[in-house]
Amino acid sequence: MKTIALKSIIIVAAFSFFQNKINAQVINWENISKQNKHLLHANVGAEYGVTAGLGYHHLIPIKKFPLWIGGEFSVPAGNQLADDYKARLGAQIRIAIFSHFQFSARIQGIARRYQNQSVTLLNFGSDFAGTLGYYRKHWFGGIEVGFDKAIVTHFKHSDWYKENIYDNVQDGWYEPATGGNFYYGLQGGYSMKKIDITLKVGKLLQQDFNSQPLLPFYGQLGVNFRF
Amino acid sequence: MPKTVMEEATLPAISVNGANLHSEAFGPKDSTLIICIHGGPGGDYRYMLNCKTLATKGYRVVFYDQRGAGLSQRFPKIWYKSQGSDAINKIFYDELKGVIAHYRTTASQKVILLGQSWGAILATGYTGKYPTEINGLIVAEPGGLKWDDVVDYVAESRSFKLWSETLNDATYIDQFIAGKEDQHEILDYKASLMGATNEIVGDVGADLGNNAPSYVASRSGAVVLAASFELGQDTKPDFSAGINNFSTKTFFIYSSNNKAYPDSWATKISSVYPNKEIFKAQGVGHSGMIDQVNFWTTTMEPKIISYIQSL
Repeated sequence: MKTIALKSIIIVAAFSFFQNKINAQVINWENISKQNKHLLHANVGAEYGVTAGLGYHHLIPIKKFPLWIGGEFSVPAGNQLADDYKARLGAQIRIAIFSHFQFSARIQGIARRYQNQSVTLLNFGSDFAGTLGYYRKHWFGGIEVGFDKAIVTHFKHSDWYKENIYDNVQDGWYEPATGGNFYYGLQGGYSMKKIDITLKVGKLLQQDFNSQPLLPFYGQLGVNFRF
Repeated sequence: MPKTVMEEATLPAISVNGANLHSEAFGPKDSTLIICIHGGPGGDYRYMLNCKTLATKGYRVVFYDQRGAGLSQRFPKIWYKSQGSDAINKIFYDELKGVIAHYRTTASQKVILLGQSWGAILATGYTGKYPTEINGLIVAEPGGLKWDDVVDYVAESRSFKLWSETLNDATYIDQFIAGKEDQHEILDYKASLMGATNEIVGDVGADLGNNAPSYVASRSGAVVLAASFELGQDTKPDFSAGINNFSTKTFFIYSSNNKAYPDSWATKISSVYPNKEIFKAQGVGHSGMIDQVNFWTTTMEPKIISYIQSL
C-alpha cells in the first residue's frame, strides 16, 4: 500500500542586524546597517521533511533599496545525509517602504538532489517570493507568499527499479517543469545586538491550487548572526 | 510509465462493468476458478503471479488489475467520488462480479477468492455480500475490515520515525515532482518511486522466479488510491458486513515479519470469520507469502491446495 501523509514545512528564518543586517530568508529591514554587511544564519525546521540549514548573505547597501545576496544549504534528516540536499543562491531586495511597513522581494536559483531506492533526481529550479511586513528595530512580523518551481530535472533510475517496477524506464533530463508549489505564511522575529531569532510558518499548495504535498506545512526556526 | 490496456492493444484485457481491465487467466477453463485479488487500492497483480502455478495443479487461475490500477483503464478522481455512498459496491464489488462472470463457463463452476492486503479486504466484503456465490475464501493479511481498523493498520504500517530516511524519502520528493489531480502518468510514476521496500511490513520486493513475465511493467494507480481513501473516510465502510453468513471455512494467512500485524491483530481481524483456519507464514512479510517464490513453492501453495481440497 502506499502512503498518504502530511507535509509540513517549518521554516524559520532568522537574520539579524542591528545597524546593518539582513537575513537570507527572513530579514528585519528596519535593522540594516552598513557596519554589519555579513550575515550568517542557521535554521532547523520542516520543509518537505525535517531539515537543517546554514547560509551566508552579504549586504549591498543601495540607499532605499538594500540588497542582500547570498546562499544557503540544507539537508533533510535521515541516515544518509548526503543523498538529499538543497542549495539556494539569490538575492533579496527591499522594494517599498511606508512608515514601518516594508515590502521586499526575493529571487533564488535552486539546485537540489533526491535519492531513494528507486531513483536519483537532480533538479534546477527557482524560487520567487514577496514579503509584506511591519518592521521595528527589535522585532518584526509579516506575511510571505512565494512560488517554488522545479524547472528541469535529471532522472537516473536504480537497477532495483528496473528489475522490479519498469525495465523500460528512461533516464535523462526531463523538461518541461516537473513540479511547482506555492507557499504562503507568517514570519517574524526578535532582534538583539548581533543576533536575531526568527520564526516562519506557513502552508504549501501544489501548482494546481488543489493538491497538497505530503507535508502541507512548513516551519523554520532560525538564528542570524551579523558582523 | 508502462502503457495501460487503453494505449497498448497487445496487453491481455477484458471489458467489465464499463472498464477495460488488464487481465489474464491460466489453467483449464472449466475447472475451479481461483480469482487473485491484488492489494492497494492501486496495486497490480504482477506480484501475485507465483499463484500462476496453481494452474498446473488443475485450477483456473484468474488475474486482473482493478479499475484505475496496474495496467487497467484510468478514470478521473471525480468519477470515483461521484459514486456516492454506495461507491465501494459500484467500483469494486460490481467489478469483481463482472470478472467472475467473464471467466465462469458454467453456473456450477466453483469460485474461490484469493486476496492479499486490500485484495483480502475486498474479497471479504464481496463474500459477505454474496456468501452463497463463493465456494472458498483465502485472505492474506487484510489490514482491517472495519474502517477504523483499516485506518489504524495503515497508520501502524507507516509509522515512520520523524528523523528517518524513510519519512523524508516520502516527503522530500514533493518539491521535485507535482502532478495535478488527474495527471495519471505523473501521479502513477511518483507513486511507483515510493513503491520500494517497507521494513515495517517486512516486504523485500517480489521474487517471482520463473513465474515472472518476460517484461517488467508494474504501475501504481495513484488516483484510485487517493479516491478510495477519501471515499473510505466519507462512507466508513464495514467490509466484514455479512461475512457472518459465510459458513464455509476461510483460510486466513498472516506473516511473522510484518511488525504491524502481530498475533493480537491477526486474532482481532480474523474474529469476524465464523469458520476459519489461521496460518502464520514464518520468515516472510506482508506480501511474502505470495511474492516470494521459494516460500510459495515450498509452503504456501501446498497449504492452499490442502485448504481447497478440504472444502
